[in-house]
Amino acid sequence: MSIKELITIILLVIGCFFFLAGTLGVLRFPDLFTRLHALTKADNLGLGFIAAGMALHIASPWAAVKIFSMWLLMLLASSTSCYLIARFEKEKDAPKNKKEEL
Amino acid sequence: MIDILLALLTIYLALQCLLAPRLPQTVFMFFAFGLALALAWVRLGAVDVAITEAAVASGFLGVLFLDALQDFSLSASPKRRGAGKDSATQPEKQGWTSYLPGVALGVGLGLFLLIALEATWKMPEGGGLTAAVAAQLPQSGVEHPVTAVLLNFRAYDTWLELGVILLGLLAIYAVGGVKLYPRHNNVADDPVLQQIMWFFTPVLFLFGAFLLYIGKSGPGGAFQAGVLWGSIGILLHLGGKLVFSVIPRWVGQVLLTVGLGFFLFLGFFFLARGAAVFEYPPAYAGLLILIIETLAAISIATTLTAIFATLNQENKKEVH
Amino acid sequence: MDLFFTIVIIFLLLNIALGLIRVWRGPTVADRLLTTQLFGTTGMAILLVLAGYLKQPTFLNVAITFNVLAILLVIGLVIVWNKRKGENP
Repeated sequence: MSIKELITIILLVIGCFFFLAGTLGVLRFPDLFTRLHALTKADNLGLGFIAAGMALHIASPWAAVKIFSMWLLMLLASSTSCYLIARFEKEKDAPKNKKEEL
Repeated sequence: MIDILLALLTIYLALQCLLAPRLPQTVFMFFAFGLALALAWVRLGAVDVAITEAAVASGFLGVLFLDALQDFSLSASPKRRGAGKDSATQPEKQGWTSYLPGVALGVGLGLFLLIALEATWKMPEGGGLTAAVAAQLPQSGVEHPVTAVLLNFRAYDTWLELGVILLGLLAIYAVGGVKLYPRHNNVADDPVLQQIMWFFTPVLFLFGAFLLYIGKSGPGGAFQAGVLWGSIGILLHLGGKLVFSVIPRWVGQVLLTVGLGFFLFLGFFFLARGAAVFEYPPAYAGLLILIIETLAAISIATTLTAIFATLNQENKKEVH
Repeated sequence: MDLFFTIVIIFLLLNIALGLIRVWRGPTVADRLLTTQLFGTTGMAILLVLAGYLKQPTFLNVAITFNVLAILLVIGLVIVWNKRKGENP
């Protein structure tokens, strides 16, 4: 197995770990705002690692530029929607800390 | 293995769309269903359909559903109301005849499913029409077989599809009336929202144009670009910039019909030269297809924006 | 290598399935909305891995489409439902 494939596998595994962390956060955190935190940060970071791994695997520079700009666009979209959801929830009524046991 | 999991997920999501106890849940399940279906199309190799599915089902229909949900007072969702006093007035003398339409429909759909499975289980010998299309591809002016079939070999169907979309808009106008549109939408006071709209407008425009022009040699084409450009219109409309009240009315009407009209004109234009209906001369075919696709995308975008604008407008009257 | 990609895709699909629990259970509509964000990001990751696995760079276009339309859904809900304050759907 060449060094490129090894790095790709490592990057993908790290990405999957962050995705799992994000999903577990969405499931187990007690409040909406904490869930937003977990999801936005962890999932986008996982996406970044997976994007880096796949850009390495598809070894064409045009695809790498495309994937990188796609990741930037996703960061922008995710952070904006996180802000919008938080504001939407905050404006509705006073945020109640709903304790959610899974 | 991926396919089995994806198929199970899709069926599960579809069931959840129907059976979820609250209406907003069904909308988000539908969004996830659109995603799963787009992945299924990708796995089947139909990337054009995957892009259209992602754009239409998840984007456009998701927003339309949310807009329609705004009308409903959600505390009167039927599942919840069944637990109240209304259940006492449920007529118990319905008997078994009330189940007949449901059973008939279920049996009919089951038969249809069996027939469809049997028809598509085996691919026809020789790959069906793939060889015939590939043989004629150089004469069609484009290099992507799907675009060639849609826009050249079966242009008649695509032209009628544009007509159907326009008919949908006319039906909405007929039901709701054309109210143009001076309404102040005072939600756009959020600076981040404004900024993101002004950022996404050129991005969506560029990406739509990219999909339009890559339709010549890869998956893409007029419908995908049209839906993406329509999203620009919807985004602007949500942000308070009502697209249809700043442009004169005749401009809107021209934009709506230019795709269909030009397609029609082009289909019959070459009759004078002795060609058949919708047959383009192979020398100009590429250029003509490009022009048709651009105008069709503009028309589709305007139609989708108009659909959303009219529906959004109509619901606003009934906000208590 | 292909087997590894398959495992990654299955793992991400399972992530989507786990996220569905939040859609079903979430007490407010904002919870369901943020799960939509999870679907969008995970879907994009799946499409990226599929693009490399099947060596088709055209899948990237589908991924971009999903990206820009996930945010449209969020903006749509936030604005359209801002009209009704004080009601908890």
